[in-house]
Amino acid sequence: LFLNIRLLNGASPPGKPVIVKCRSPEKETFTCWWKPGSNGGLPTNYTLTYYKEGENIIYECPDYTTGGPNSCFFSRKYTTIWTIYVMRVNATNKMGNTASDVRFVDVTYIVEPNAPQNVTLEIKKSQDREAYLWIKWLAPTLVDTRSGWLILQYEIRLKPEKATEWETHYAGHQTNFKILNLSPGQKYFVQVRCKPDHGFWSQWSQEKSIKIPGDANMNVTVWIF
Amino acid sequence: CPNGASCRVSLRELFDRAIIVSHYIHSLSSEMFQEFDAQYSQGPGFFTQAISMCHTASISTPAGKEQAQQIHQKDFVILVIHLLRSWTEPLNHLITETSRLPKDPHALRAKAVEIQQQNQRLLEGLDKIGKLVDPEITDNGDYAVWLGLPALQSNDVESLLFAFHNMFRCLRRDTHKVDNYLKFLKCQIAYDGSC
Repeated sequence: LFLNIRLLNGASPPGKPVIVKCRSPEKETFTCWWKPGSNGGLPTNYTLTYYKEGENIIYECPDYTTGGPNSCFFSRKYTTIWTIYVMRVNATNKMGNTASDVRFVDVTYIVEPNAPQNVTLEIKKSQDREAYLWIKWLAPTLVDTRSGWLILQYEIRLKPEKATEWETHYAGHQTNFKILNLSPGQKYFVQVRCKPDHGFWSQWSQEKSIKIPGDANMNVTVWIF
Repeated sequence: CPNGASCRVSLRELFDRAIIVSHYIHSLSSEMFQEFDAQYSQGPGFFTQAISMCHTASISTPAGKEQAQQIHQKDFVILVIHLLRSWTEPLNHLITETSRLPKDPHALRAKAVEIQQQNQRLLEGLDKIGKLVDPEITDNGDYAVWLGLPALQSNDVESLLFAFHNMFRCLRRDTHKVDNYLKFLKCQIAYDGSC
C-alpha cells in the first residue's frame, strides 16, 4: 500500500535534513553544516537544537549566519572541548516538521585547520654556490600557535610544470623548507598543508610557482675523484 | 649526580620528554578506541546508546584556551597529575577484565598494558616538572574514584561491551586532555607564553 501524503496543491512536510559536517579550524570554535531535504513546495524554516553531555538543557543554535547558508557557528563562548554535543536539525513548514538524525560531536575530534598562508618561494645559493629552493610559509590566520594550544605540523609538495606526480616532503613543525637538486630551467609548482598533532590535514594552499634559473653558474660544480 | 646543579635537566627538556610520552599515550588510546569499536560494534550507532559520564568528570578541567590561561601554573601541573593518577586503578582492572571479552582481545590488552606503563613513566616525569615549577608544590595524592568494576564484570555481553566502550572513550578523552595541557604548559612555563 502506498500512502501519498501530498495534498492536492502538492504541498507536503519537509524532507529529512542531514547534518553533513562539523569542523573546528583552531580548536576554539566550530561550525556544523546540514543539507536540507526537499522543502515540500513551501517556505521551510530550519533550526538546530543541541544539548551537551551531562546537561539536561536543550539549546538552540547561537549563530545561523557566520558559517553561511544551512550552518550553525559556535563561537568561543559556546564551544566546550572534551564534551559531547548531541545535535539535531529540525525542518518546519506549514504542513509539519521533520527532524534529522542526531549527530554526536566532540570538538576534540573535528579539528581541521585552514591551509597555511603567505607561501613564498625563493632561489638561494649555499656557500658552495649550489642553488636551492627556499620555501617559507605562515600558519593559517586563525590558529594561535604561540600559546601551544594547537600545534601544527606541515607537509609540502612540488612538481615540475609538466609532471603529473607530486613529490611530497614532511616538514615537521618548522615553517620553512629547503629543496636541493632541482632541474635548471624548469618551472616548479609548490603547495603546503598543515595538520594539528591530533587531527585532520588542511586543504593544500594555493599553488605558487617559480622558475629555476637555467644559467651555467648554477650547476657547474663537478667533483672528480 | 654529585653536584646537583650541573645535572639538573632543564624544564624545556623535561617538557619535551613528557610530551613525547603523552603524545604516544594518546595515539595508543586513540587506536585502542577505534580498534575496539571496529571489532565489537554491532551496527551503526550501536555504541551511542552506551555513552555515560566519565569517572574523571569530577575533576574540573579547563574546556578551552581562555580557561586554561587563567589557571595558575602550579595548580595546572597538579591537575594533570590528578587526571593521570585517576587512571592507574581503572587501567589495572581494564587489563585483567579484557579476558571476559568475546573474540580475541589480545591486541587491546597489549595496548592497555603499554599505556599503563607509559602513564607511570609520565607521572614520574611530571613529578620532576612539578618540583622545578615550584619546589614547595604540594600534591595531596588526589584522584577521581572509579566505581566501574562491576560493569566490567557484567555477565550480559551487551552491558559488558558498553562498559568497555566507555572506558576506552574516556581514556581517549583524558589522554588527549593530558597531551593538550602539557603542550600548552610547555609554552606557558618553559617559553613564557610564546612558543
